[in-house]
Amino acid sequence: MKIKKLLFVTKFESLCYDALHSLLDLRKSGLEHVVFLNVIEREKVSMRRGKGYVKEDEIRLKEMANIRFIDWAENLFEMGMEVGAYIEVASLIPKILDVVEKETPDLIVIGRSQKGKLEQLYSRSDITELTRRSPVPILVFKHLAEDKMVPAKLFERPLFATSWSNSSEKAVSCLKELGEVIGELHLMHVVDEKELKSTDTHKVQSVRKNERNRLEDLCREFAQKGISARPHVYVGDPETEILKAAREYQATLIVLGFSDRTALAERWLGSISRNIADKSMFPCLLFPVKK
Amino acid sequence: MGKKILVVDDDPDVRSFVLTVLEENQYTPMVACDGVEGLEVIQKEMPDLVILDVLMPRGSGIRLYRHLKTDDALKAIPVIMFTGIALRSFLKSQKVLEAFKGEKIPEPDIYLEKPVEPQELVDAIRKKLD
Repeated sequence: MKIKKLLFVTKFESLCYDALHSLLDLRKSGLEHVVFLNVIEREKVSMRRGKGYVKEDEIRLKEMANIRFIDWAENLFEMGMEVGAYIEVASLIPKILDVVEKETPDLIVIGRSQKGKLEQLYSRSDITELTRRSPVPILVFKHLAEDKMVPAKLFERPLFATSWSNSSEKAVSCLKELGEVIGELHLMHVVDEKELKSTDTHKVQSVRKNERNRLEDLCREFAQKGISARPHVYVGDPETEILKAAREYQATLIVLGFSDRTALAERWLGSISRNIADKSMFPCLLFPVKK
Repeated sequence: MGKKILVVDDDPDVRSFVLTVLEENQYTPMVACDGVEGLEVIQKEMPDLVILDVLMPRGSGIRLYRHLKTDDALKAIPVIMFTGIALRSFLKSQKVLEAFKGEKIPEPDIYLEKPVEPQELVDAIRKKLD
């Protein structure tokens, strides 16, 4: 699975040209088309008390977005890339899905959800909503430091946390196509503490060894594609351990598969990938479950 | 019936502006909203002139222009580029694609940067058609 076309969803607040620029390394492995999407939320232009629908606001916001997109597009056109743009007044997630259907991108890039904690509790974050409904991988982009600097090479040291699920398989097939871009890949699997409850040390160690062997097999597959990969087995709560590994290996990106729990189960039990995408400081590349 | 002119632009306000100018000057206007639809209409209707935007969804004007100028059946159709993208970027992009694909294509007949006055657009059309 190659990333040839990406959909870059921006509100201009947290996701700007520097973020896009850090992704342009993907050109080495086939990226040739970028589609910009700016969704102007309806509440920004409609039904103000005493004013109703404010057409002037819509025109102003659209033109502001257009000016930014023209500037970005000129840079990309000059590199020989193909560029498209949508500026729409709409609801964010339905519009993203609509553009995904029209453009069939290989990757969606979106900034961190801006909803507050209380709001997320009741309505779920935009990211959660999108991960549930998107058929294509999503890169949740974040600035790694307080000074909002973007890592120059996002794929320099990705950490891929595999759960051996079918969405993890999808991630493997995508990462294998990024040999020209990835510096060093860190592969990890988190063993649940419940699996280590045996009092027999031999059994406990064999669980670790089996997982390590599976990861080493995967490392060999990556090596055949020219990607240097290192295996890591962690034990404990997956969310905590993945973030710990990301810090320890100074990951530039966390790669995860989506959970295939039902929406209801997820509401009560949570989802590791969505929690990490929503809360962590690391950019996250999320792969959907094959349907 | 006036000569057929196709406007390919994703912005409804721009389409409406150009349509009004064309109708007032007795041309027969046609519209398409993006690069893919633009090519379909061109192949079906064979317009006498195309007014083409660059930054659009589903296929940019840069690729459509390239397609038109490398297709023997379509290369004679004159094209006016009508866009917010700077000419410098357009030419540089074509140069990069030229090096990559090995096909040299001619520069656009006329390149107008938005916005323009109606008369400027009419003059450009007349220059190509009359």
